[in-house]
Amino acid sequence: MTALTGTGPLVRLALRRERAIAPWWILLIVALGLAMVAYVNRNMGTDELKLTYIDIIRSNAFLQGLGGASVEPRLDVLATWRSGGFLYVASAFAAVMSVVRHTRREEDAGRSELVRSAVVSRQAQLTAAVLVAAGISLTAGLCTAVALIGAGLQPLGSFAYGAAVAAAGWVFAGLAAVAAQAARNARSATAIGLAALAAGHVMRYVADASGQQWPKYLSPIGWGHLVRPYQDERWWMLGVSIAAGAVLLAVAYRLLARRDLGAGLFPERLGRARAPELRGPISLAWRLHRSLLAKWAAGVAFFAAAAAGLSPLARDLLSRPSLVVDNIRSLLGMSGTLGAYSWYLILILAYAVALYPVLMILRLRAEETSGRAEAVQATPMTRLRWAAGHLVVTGLGTAALMAVAGLVFGTLYSLLAGDLTTDLPRFFAGALATVPAAWCVGAVCVLAYGLLPRACAAVSWTAWALTAALGQVAGPLYGQWGGSPLEPFHYVPNVFTATPADILPIAALLAVTAALLGGGLLCLRHRDFH
Amino acid sequence: MSDAISVTGLVKAFGGTRALDGLDLVVGTGEVHGFLGPNGAGKSTTIRVLLGMLRADAGTARLLGGDPWADATELHRRLAYVPGDVTLWPHLSGGEVIDLLGRLRGGLDEGRRAELLERFDLDPRKKCRTYSKGNRQKVALIAALASDAELLILDEPTSGLDPLMEEVFRETVREGRRGGHRTVLLSSHILAEVETLCDRVTIIKDGRTVESGTLAGLRHLTRTSIQADLAAPPRGLADLPGVHGLRAEGERVWFDVDTDAMDTVLRRLTEAGVRGLISRPPTLEELFLRHYDRTGASGGRHVGAAR
Ligand SMILES: Nc1ncnc2c1ncn2[C@@H]1O[C@H](COP(=O)(O)OP(=O)(O)OP(=O)(O)O)[C@@H](O)[C@H]1O
Ligand SMILES: [Mg+2]
Repeated sequence: MTALTGTGPLVRLALRRERAIAPWWILLIVALGLAMVAYVNRNMGTDELKLTYIDIIRSNAFLQGLGGASVEPRLDVLATWRSGGFLYVASAFAAVMSVVRHTRREEDAGRSELVRSAVVSRQAQLTAAVLVAAGISLTAGLCTAVALIGAGLQPLGSFAYGAAVAAAGWVFAGLAAVAAQAARNARSATAIGLAALAAGHVMRYVADASGQQWPKYLSPIGWGHLVRPYQDERWWMLGVSIAAGAVLLAVAYRLLARRDLGAGLFPERLGRARAPELRGPISLAWRLHRSLLAKWAAGVAFFAAAAAGLSPLARDLLSRPSLVVDNIRSLLGMSGTLGAYSWYLILILAYAVALYPVLMILRLRAEETSGRAEAVQATPMTRLRWAAGHLVVTGLGTAALMAVAGLVFGTLYSLLAGDLTTDLPRFFAGALATVPAAWCVGAVCVLAYGLLPRACAAVSWTAWALTAALGQVAGPLYGQWGGSPLEPFHYVPNVFTATPADILPIAALLAVTAALLGGGLLCLRHRDFH
Repeated sequence: MSDAISVTGLVKAFGGTRALDGLDLVVGTGEVHGFLGPNGAGKSTTIRVLLGMLRADAGTARLLGGDPWADATELHRRLAYVPGDVTLWPHLSGGEVIDLLGRLRGGLDEGRRAELLERFDLDPRKKCRTYSKGNRQKVALIAALASDAELLILDEPTSGLDPLMEEVFRETVREGRRGGHRTVLLSSHILAEVETLCDRVTIIKDGRTVESGTLAGLRHLTRTSIQADLAAPPRGLADLPGVHGLRAEGERVWFDVDTDAMDTVLRRLTEAGVRGLISRPPTLEELFLRHYDRTGASGGRHVGAAR
């Protein structure tokens, strides 16, 4: 009898359940690797263009942040640089989700109890989950390497790149394994894992943007960049990732061996005995989802503060002659002020906040599939009122998040580099002006929820991902200056350039949002509830 | 023969709540043991400790001669478990789940699997998402019963089963034990099920064992309700030990009497001269209700009679 008993069948079970998920991640990662090569070939076909481009990068902190300052005018280096570490992030993201799915989520659902009553060692579920997650990362890395070699890139560097992609997955599989032991439930475990991932990415970005190298060495995502594929292939950096993953995994096993099934590090506290204010759909939704909103608000405040903290740095950059800054100015129609340039940061936050309504609609769907909504529907509360309660909390929550972003950013920016009386109100108003666009993304999810409940998750994630990818933030970085008119943030007025009377695009956005919401609710009312 | 399960002084606290507070439980090899107690008494917690999913804070627990926490995997080879709340993988079919659980337990008897599917009338091709509650329960039951485990741990296994299926379950358990030395620990709220299946029962409350023994022995502990018409008003009846809730109306008395005090009490009644006597034999239900009641020692009908 060993600690491995039962792992085999559990791996098979996990693979069976990953059948519909893992291939998409692998495809996404490989496709992104190839897309970057195609992108560089299309836009920087000649050496001359590549050199120009390198100059642009060197003179711009935002672009440096994308993949580091040490780029070379070669196809392979530029293509990896251009991906901005996205392959590492995607691989890590998949690993976190997969480990939590096969450990803590099983526990929460009560299936672990059934499984562990069989001839299955206490460690088997975790081992199986980590094996499967690592297998997915490894496959993704290997497929990327092979695909890039197929695209004509040099084999050694391609394997180093693929290995770095796999290693990022491995580290975060270890991290998720620890989170799954420490957290109170699967949701918190996922949140811990993804927060660590976001922090890792931001640290790496800040390190590259500011030229301070040390935060990069602290970030597991940074370790991927530090492998420097196609440049000098520092294989030993892979060793760091492997060792870190192994240490995390050892910690996870330690915790697991001392932990009750279903328990986290901290015991569950008692709740309140009464709920006098819990009387309608809105108060119910608020009670259910307020902690998510609080976490988001904390995250938004943190990132807004960090972004505003960079504004003195941005001022330095502005004083230097730079092609990209000029490009952004002219193409987004901005005037030359620092405030106009900082508007860009508010937009980044707005695209991130647009994810909040998406997650809330997914929660609405989860209420339905879990059967919890059924209990509520059995009361005189109608289905529409139930859904409307969630939507009100979602809508106001989105607005509140942008208000936090505008206030924190505006205040800090004004204190560091601007003027409190003019800049704070402008940033605040500007942040609020993005809210209808975020609502619009959420409204697409509502329509999907009403019309295609089964595909709701897929449609919702796609809607947000497309918005962000086609948007004004990713757009300029990927050559689509000004972003695509297909995404709602395109119509958000820039408070630093637009005349205040320009209310038409906002009104149009609101109208589209209302139409989508109405359609979604109408479908919801007429479809089966399950 | 050694005991299949022996637990003494088991303590388990969740934060501030003491779910188990010095619980004792002994299940002999080969017996079907009923495990009873009000909601939240600690039955499922005890079972989870026995399965090595929770670690006890104090006390000892032995299962099939091993330590439930340290030897969990080894012991699970010899037992099968049905949880009270069966949740299954929504996208797997019932047949897939039965095979999976069987494989995880180290194989299951193909013939028996087919027979049980037939008897429980379960379509194994349906996705678990589409099963009704009772059918989900059946999946777990079939997976457990199709194994040849020497110990079955069943936590309210029939919740959600229709009466016909419950009968099938009882038959299967009875057949299983006739075949050999299979021990069954059955936690249940269905007294009829316990009465027909169990050799011995343990009743727990607030994490402590309050009663344990054979059903006949327990019956012995219950009180008989007596209504008597006497020749003369009774005297001194209320002072007799073992008499509870005495009520008198003229020559007629109602009271409950402990089984071991029956002899003395009847003698006192005949001394007064008995004209009529109605005695109602003790039911297990009354015993359970008495133990289940949170307010104190006497409960249910006894409280009613005391007015
Ligand atoms: N994970 C947990 N955290 C906190 N308290 C718990 C936990 N699990 C059980 N409890 C508490 O322990 C006590 C015993 O619960 P248990 O589930 O063992 O009861 P039970 O006898 O099985 O009840 P039922 O008949 O309702 O199934 C209850 O008070 C319960 O609230
Ligand atoms: Mg229970």
